[in-house]
Amino acid sequence: MAGIGVAAGLGAGCWINKHGPSSRKPLLRPPGALPEDDLLAECIRCALCIEACPWDTLKLAGFEAGLGVGTPYLVARRMPCYLCEKYDELKCIEACPTNALSEVPDRKSVRMGVAVVDEKRCSAFIGSFCKACAEACPISGAIVLDDNRRPIVNEKVCVGCGICDHVCPTEPSSIIIRPASIGDQAPEQVS
Amino acid sequence: MRRRRNRIAKWTWLRRTTACVFLALIVLGCFQWFPWFKGSTTATRLFSLIPLADPLAAIEITFASRQLHPRLLIGAGLLLGFCLLMGPVFCGWVCPLGLLLDLNHALRERVRRLFGERRRPPVSGRIPSSIRFGVLGLVLAISLTTRMPAFQSLSPINIIGWSALEITQAARRIDAVSIASVASSYWTVLGPAALLLLAIVLTEFVSPRIWCRGFCPLGACYALVGRFAPLRVRIDPGEAGKTRCEHCERHCPMGIRVMEDYEFAGKDSIDHPDCTRCGACVDSCPRGVLKLGFTPFSSRDQCDEEIRADSSL
Repeated sequence: MAGIGVAAGLGAGCWINKHGPSSRKPLLRPPGALPEDDLLAECIRCALCIEACPWDTLKLAGFEAGLGVGTPYLVARRMPCYLCEKYDELKCIEACPTNALSEVPDRKSVRMGVAVVDEKRCSAFIGSFCKACAEACPISGAIVLDDNRRPIVNEKVCVGCGICDHVCPTEPSSIIIRPASIGDQAPEQVS
Repeated sequence: MRRRRNRIAKWTWLRRTTACVFLALIVLGCFQWFPWFKGSTTATRLFSLIPLADPLAAIEITFASRQLHPRLLIGAGLLLGFCLLMGPVFCGWVCPLGLLLDLNHALRERVRRLFGERRRPPVSGRIPSSIRFGVLGLVLAISLTTRMPAFQSLSPINIIGWSALEITQAARRIDAVSIASVASSYWTVLGPAALLLLAIVLTEFVSPRIWCRGFCPLGACYALVGRFAPLRVRIDPGEAGKTRCEHCERHCPMGIRVMEDYEFAGKDSIDHPDCTRCGACVDSCPRGVLKLGFTPFSSRDQCDEEIRADSSL
């Protein structure tokens, strides 16, 4: 019986690989997360990272994430990642029993995503004076103000923690995080 | 003969307690002030030190990621070692789905008794338990080929764990806590999961624990390892088979034919792969012919002598 199961599973697996759904809703993943496909393979969906987070940042993905249900993600607007600034280590990475969230050499090398300014909505671009995001940004040099005092994101430095998104005074936010998991595609508001 | 309903169903209550404790620990783990137990049904950490991992999940992750994770393997090893000694006790004593199905079954018994029916019907709808070994093979093969721990995303056991987590988290987060807001937040996250769970509970009306007996790959995993564990239901060889009350068979949630296949066959213990050491048969036996233990029956088993004296009144 087990043999039949294995044979059927191999067949079904190959079929799923060929014809299965490939597009997934992009989610902003915790620091140290592997690329999306590896994360889905390695994450055991135990929620240890979610419980370890001191800020209640991480949430459990629901069934809208397809087979990614039970994996951790965060909504920066609701609660960003503070990169465990008060602690010695990143708590979620420390809690993970697999390598789904793997060690990072230091906080500046975290790459959760990249902040993207919506120039049509941002008050600084429209004309009023605002530098909330640049002031809140914990990484020096990630958001700099240009000569016209408008925020410019340095994509090489930005870690994607989402604090800028969290503090943005416009509604909805005019600076959002493009998750690292979707590469260079157009950013999309993750709810 | 005295009705045995007067006696407390010791094992049944004991294992319901352990299952409730496990669920309560998952809920408590959501709180920062409770560091001693963290995690959900797939992997947990005790006292912020000892890792425990669902063996099936650990194997699936190993297959899917094609890597060895020491913490996961230690965790799974600990549980499998425990299973080697105690049998598949997870299914009967810890599994939150088992608890749910048990309570559903108990409720149905109550209702049935309200309508005046006395005897339990024998467990119907036998399905070959080898099907779940097929499911186990299927799940592992899918994990290996699609690089996705297939069962972990759909496992009804995980769904209960996540639900406990999600409800606690939502209740903690939402400022003005109202049941409606918690329920709506839960529904958006795990609504379909709750439906899946309901579907499994409904299959109970076909036959009790049909999911566990026929389909659960985790149960199959534990059954493979724990079948010949020393902790077993033991049969008193002197007393067995003298009456045919069939209480044990009617009460066994896994539908094992305790009398036909074991008592009458002259065996002194039950080594059926489906046996989860839940003790339902032991609780149900009016003559104390059965016990749950590591050693075979000795004629000087005091407590059972008492029961026998009791039942002869």
